[in-house]
Amino acid sequence: MSRPVAVVGVGQTKHGARRSDHSIPGLVREAVDRALLDAGLEHADIDAVVVGKAPDMLEGIAQPEQFLVGALGGHMKPVLRVHTAGSVGASTAITAAVHVQSGLYDRVLTVAFEKQSEGNAMWALSPSMPFTPPLVAGAGGFFAPYCRAYIRKTAAPMHIGPMIAANARENAGRNEYAHLTEPMTVEDVMNSPMLWDPIRYLETCPSSDGAVALVIANETQARKGPRKPAWIKGAASYAEAMWVPGRDQVSPRAGKVCARHVYDKAGIRNPWTDIQTAEIYVPFSWFEAMWLENLGFCAEGEGWKAVDRGDQKFGRHLPVNPSGGVLCTNPIGASGMLRLGEAALQVMGRAGAHQVENVRHALGHAYGGGAQYFAMWVVGAEP
Amino acid sequence: MQEPPAEPVKYIDTNVRLPYHYVAGDYRARQLRAFKDRKILGSRCAKTGKVFIPPVPNSPESFAPCTEFVEVPDRGVVTTFCIVNIPVIGRSLELPYVAASVALDGADISIFALILECKPEDVHMGTRVEAVWKPDGERQGNHEDILHFRPTGEPDAPLESFINRL
Amino acid sequence: MTATLRNVAVVGFAQLPVVARDEHRMATEMLYPVVREALAQVGVERDAIDYQVSASTDYMDGRPFGFVAALDVMGSWPPRQDLHLEMDGAFAAYYAWLKIQTGEVDTALVATHGKVSEGEPDRVFNLALEPYYHGAIGLDPTSTSALQASAFMARTGATDADLARVASRSRAAGTRNPDAQLREAASAESLQRTPFKVRPLRDGYLPPIGETATCLVLAAEGKAETLCDRPAWIHGTHHISELQTIGARDLTRSASARLAAEKALAMAGLASAREVDLVELLATNPVEELILLDALGLEARSGGGSGPAINPSGGPLCAHPIMSTGSIRLGEAFRQLAGRAGERQVAKAARAIAHGAQGHCLQQNVVFVLGSERRWS
Repeated sequence: MSRPVAVVGVGQTKHGARRSDHSIPGLVREAVDRALLDAGLEHADIDAVVVGKAPDMLEGIAQPEQFLVGALGGHMKPVLRVHTAGSVGASTAITAAVHVQSGLYDRVLTVAFEKQSEGNAMWALSPSMPFTPPLVAGAGGFFAPYCRAYIRKTAAPMHIGPMIAANARENAGRNEYAHLTEPMTVEDVMNSPMLWDPIRYLETCPSSDGAVALVIANETQARKGPRKPAWIKGAASYAEAMWVPGRDQVSPRAGKVCARHVYDKAGIRNPWTDIQTAEIYVPFSWFEAMWLENLGFCAEGEGWKAVDRGDQKFGRHLPVNPSGGVLCTNPIGASGMLRLGEAALQVMGRAGAHQVENVRHALGHAYGGGAQYFAMWVVGAEP
Repeated sequence: MQEPPAEPVKYIDTNVRLPYHYVAGDYRARQLRAFKDRKILGSRCAKTGKVFIPPVPNSPESFAPCTEFVEVPDRGVVTTFCIVNIPVIGRSLELPYVAASVALDGADISIFALILECKPEDVHMGTRVEAVWKPDGERQGNHEDILHFRPTGEPDAPLESFINRL
Repeated sequence: MTATLRNVAVVGFAQLPVVARDEHRMATEMLYPVVREALAQVGVERDAIDYQVSASTDYMDGRPFGFVAALDVMGSWPPRQDLHLEMDGAFAAYYAWLKIQTGEVDTALVATHGKVSEGEPDRVFNLALEPYYHGAIGLDPTSTSALQASAFMARTGATDADLARVASRSRAAGTRNPDAQLREAASAESLQRTPFKVRPLRDGYLPPIGETATCLVLAAEGKAETLCDRPAWIHGTHHISELQTIGARDLTRSASARLAAEKALAMAGLASAREVDLVELLATNPVEELILLDALGLEARSGGGSGPAINPSGGPLCAHPIMSTGSIRLGEAFRQLAGRAGERQVAKAARAIAHGAQGHCLQQNVVFVLGSERRWS
């Protein structure tokens, strides 16, 4: 970026099925307080707040950022609310980065959350739409056919999805904040009920309550510390129309274009060698293989082979989702920011038990809509 | 006057009830009305000639208007699908059932459709299907006029013919 | 803030005339002709625009992810750099301006849509209140506005007749705006005879339910001049939110509007809002207009007199397509400075303020100061 911009603080909640110990304001405060502490800053130091979350129907409150202004420390400050479907957490963090990049804001707090237990998530995601007979419940019903198409095109063996799911769970065991951490074997996954063939129950993201907050700041603030910052080397959010004839929904163009844009800005020539870890948005197992290709880590048709070899496991060549990812933790609005925040933690050397070694560059990625919205960033150890 | 609660209140239940009165829009309305006559209408892009089902006022690809309505056959090919084991809200379908992306002959994009009258394991990417309509006299000119799609029994279409129309 | 910023201008604006209900088009279908028209105004194809921001709200649309359909009508192919805010369009325009300030893009389109007639806004925006108490007791935007109006009238001594006069002036202005929904004048006396919807707010003081779609085009210096013969340069802009909690705020004043205006005016290098020729305010009732004028340091005009023209478009009282209303304020300011305001043209308009707002009782406010000349050289 022309003006150096960095993540200087990260805070997240312990994610779970039902955080009944907190109201929504309490949940976001848990993340916000942690992020500010992490950054060594007070609310008075924050110039603006950028909030992101997925459809308001998930909690039954319209434009909830309005009632949350106080809890977010946004009183008498600029507050914006982003919504780009599943990618929202990521596009929100990127929006916050744009604030600092503009030169008009020095320190911005960005927050993303979802408290799905308070509403009916299934209904909120797939209510009866006018003029169309209801067909499938849940996002999985929409995406499973494209996972099938990927399997057919690549002739990938059926154990790949379950391998991804089992590996994600193993990773989550190293993440104190993750929702689902109980280990499971590939066999456990293959024996779990089929939800939308070819996606099984244990290959599907959970419904979680959770929040995450980042403090993004300019170079002066970043160099003050107390933390080693994660420099945002390249960031972008793209979207494409849905009903384009011949649109590739297995490896969408918007994903490729967005990745190219971000890699160019960050000076990444070969992601497979130049990036040491990637937090990518995998709500259904097979997307890990698909995104490895879409993001240029693997050639077309080769993503599943990287999984089969275990190249993306913790401790191997390119650990993917060392946090456990969306498969283990999915407060929908927060998930995208968790990816970008986890990438930052890796570069900052603060990922605890799931810290990958010698991370110089990390990718954070999210997608949403009918695989139409893509938002991602590359963070680096150097400005 | 009720007694105050003995314990601090931890949860409150609120039911949200919001009425909406939606406009179908002329394009969609025309398609729905044509269902009464067992016709499936789409719209054609003025620039590229591509056909969109359901009909839309503009092509999302070329950004040009779609001013012409065209009829497409009520048969096509399953481009991809999944077999669903979770009940969907608002409809009672016997589980498991097949939810598919169907490219109708002559259409340049796919629609989502329910595939019945076969065993789910007999559906493939490439299975040829046809619409099953409500009988004459029962069709209202709305989205319930097409009950589902069923395999026609023709040989599967080759992968190349539909892999770009997922 | 005295930094030199990029000169960015509004160079195009298109909207459909606001109507009570468009029976022919879905929400996003209304947006297509408007994006085409905005591009035609600036004389380029969609590919020439670097960035797009859309604004709408799912709950009003009655569809989760309702905004996703806007992609298909905004020319989102090939893939575009894009963002969507669940906010009024004026805030989306602010963000587009901010994005251009980074230097990464030079042009942006800002699109809004929303079929207000399909749902019941009072019910929808009741759900925007904190759910434990304010929402649960059934407050809605009209009743929270009424609380604000009562408090304001008690503090200032403003009367029902004063409100009627403010509303009547808006209605008179609306007769000169072919895009407004209400285009018939209404005397103060006749408005004062309309029944109270929620005391002290009468039906005649409240906007009609109506809908539209809009598209603004913003461009940086270097591009702006190629797209428009008279760009409306943004001299200053800022936005501020305050707590929602009704009981924790001085409802009779808008601290957030005041602060947003101060910062915007300072950026613009203006000492006071009195230096502009017109203001377009997102005031959804006469009390909001009086509060906003006070926040801007302007006097309410008692018919004629000096000072900027107030809502020469007729303002939200004549057309309030929720989520688009703020974009229209900015679009009207553009039309005025570009000399395209027809019968409602303010003579020799060279400077304008456009204001947008959302949330109960003016909770969130954005202010733009615009001018015919560039701000920074």
